[in-house]
Amino acid sequence: MDFYIQVLISGLLLGGIYALISIGLNLIFGVVRILNFAHGELVMLAMYGTFWLYKLYDLDPYLSLVVVLPAMFLFGVVLQRFILQPVLTTSGVMKMFTTVGISILMQNLALILWKGDFRAVQTFYSMSTIKFSGLIISIPRLVAFGAALLSIILLYLFLKYTYVGKALRAIVEDHATARLMGITVERHYLLAFGLGALFSALGGTLMMPFSSVYPTIGGPFTALAFVIVVLGGLGSMGGTFLAGLFIGVIEAFAGTFVSPGLKEAIYFVIFLLVLMVRPQGLFGMGRGTEEIGLK
Amino acid sequence: MKKLAMLAAACICLMQISVTGVFAEEKTIQIGALYPISGNLALMGEESWRGAEIARILRNRQGGVAGKQIVFRQGDASTNSAARSETERMIEQDKVKAILGTYASSRCMVASEVAARKDIFYFELGAIANAITQRGYKTVWRTCPTSLDFCRGQVNFIINWLAPTLGKKANEIKVGIAHEDGEYGTSVANSFATLAKKTGLQIVSVEAYSNTSNDLSSVIFRLRKAAPDIVVAVSSSQDAILLSRQANELGLNIPIMGTGGGHSFQSFADGLGPQANGVLNVDFTQYHVNTKYTPGLEEFVKLYQETFKHFPRAGSSLANFMGANVIFNILEKTGGSFDPEKIRKVAMAMDIQPGHTATGWGVKFDKEGQNVRAECLVTQWRDGKLVTVWPKKFAVMEPILVK
Repeated sequence: MDFYIQVLISGLLLGGIYALISIGLNLIFGVVRILNFAHGELVMLAMYGTFWLYKLYDLDPYLSLVVVLPAMFLFGVVLQRFILQPVLTTSGVMKMFTTVGISILMQNLALILWKGDFRAVQTFYSMSTIKFSGLIISIPRLVAFGAALLSIILLYLFLKYTYVGKALRAIVEDHATARLMGITVERHYLLAFGLGALFSALGGTLMMPFSSVYPTIGGPFTALAFVIVVLGGLGSMGGTFLAGLFIGVIEAFAGTFVSPGLKEAIYFVIFLLVLMVRPQGLFGMGRGTEEIGLK
Repeated sequence: MKKLAMLAAACICLMQISVTGVFAEEKTIQIGALYPISGNLALMGEESWRGAEIARILRNRQGGVAGKQIVFRQGDASTNSAARSETERMIEQDKVKAILGTYASSRCMVASEVAARKDIFYFELGAIANAITQRGYKTVWRTCPTSLDFCRGQVNFIINWLAPTLGKKANEIKVGIAHEDGEYGTSVANSFATLAKKTGLQIVSVEAYSNTSNDLSSVIFRLRKAAPDIVVAVSSSQDAILLSRQANELGLNIPIMGTGGGHSFQSFADGLGPQANGVLNVDFTQYHVNTKYTPGLEEFVKLYQETFKHFPRAGSSLANFMGANVIFNILEKTGGSFDPEKIRKVAMAMDIQPGHTATGWGVKFDKEGQNVRAECLVTQWRDGKLVTVWPKKFAVMEPILVK
């Protein structure tokens, strides 16, 4: 029994990290309605930022959040304003290719600047664990899990109770009507993209104590975040969190009891099944969200 | 009129250049050097090229081959299709009669096939796939060990050191395998499993995983359940760090032995810190090795540092240095001739005992063109350095058992 609980704990902790990475994509995807294929590269950039702050200035990964988060927010805003805003009114395919282009550009810039080598930080808590009655919990993973939970709650409160949050939700539901109601849609797009980049950076930085970074690390994150966001439903932060945990647990159990090589295949099958039965996702909101931003 | 005069002058200049070009070629030996020097294999591809380049510089200083200076014609095997087109370009345009390279097995398989069909010699100095010399091409030769040699190195070490150290017989030793599920991981893991079974070792668990995975806890859980005496890991890059970290986190107290790849990078030790201590690995000859058995290694490192301003980044440059020297020696004996019969005769007659080259490997080619005296050494991470611990004649430290 202990063994099953241990696998469950590993899955939940992994799911927390997945959720953290996916929140940002949900914001961008839901509000701006752009299929951001460069999402994983935002995570990668934040990880490199954390690594270099650690390497050059000896800054602890957790402390480096003070620098990395605002920097990545700004980066997101700039990306939205100068690259994505001009193509917003073009076709879905055009927008998609733009983000694919950004992704390739960022990957190759990272390769040129920092080489293909994988890099990791080494902190005293990297491998620290809590042990009780035969179960093991990794502390940095627990921190990431806690941060994911906290982020979801804060974001929920922000979207629910602030004026700006309500405006963002209105845009998710129907951006044309939101504009008619006097909401400055473009300006809110900037905010949404900035926040999306910020949450990706939070995920990336909190992963650094137990993960390595290399130029192509982003690709799998992008695919994973799409699965989680669509599974959880566009615009639903709680849905993203639950979907993240769901995928994490599926991955842990499938990996342990079926085969580690098949774990990705298994959650993609489940994803396809959900898409067939409930295309708007498990907790999806808003009309037309099942069309995944292709309009 | 003035324009016409300038045009004529330009033509004369061009003719001069091409004439001196032809003249220069006669005084030199042209060899193609094909490595992935851009793209995702660029780091190690370039490191490998550097080894051959140092050999070339050194040989030219000593008067070259058969009195001629050696010139490399560079090719970039950034992808498999680039490997094909670059090989064709070097043969058709640069008129090279021999090519050396390649670091990556997939690139070598493509490029050597193109070269073989045109009867151009292909010398492989660093790629390990068994199949490279098993396709019946008479002009494909390899100086470095194969993936089977990697597995031999591991199995020998497990039987001759690990088993006695644990107080067990070889057939009582249980081995777990964790490998990335790409071509590299799968082929090496299969070779290892086949060889290990032949020698009586018990394979209790074989775990394939994707090397882009960011969580290997399920691999660790499965290994923990199988409870092997040693885990043989075939990791290509960051998965090596992840495996060790999660093994440590989740209480898998079993020694890990890598198979080159991710376990040979300095970033493995830099990223893991003290936890890297004691992790075993098998690979080409590395730099912390008994230099009495590897004559020329110190000279290589010195010239490398002079040329590239830092310490060699991996053992693959040394392997390419050794291999390039073997080729130059062959060409010296043929008097600079690329005649297939002459080269074959000289190469087959070569007989260098182990301990007489910079990697310590001997040289003796079998009829398939494989150097059967190339071998892999067992190294261990000790205080951030990859030191050689096995076989004893190469060792600078005794191996230790760290769980």
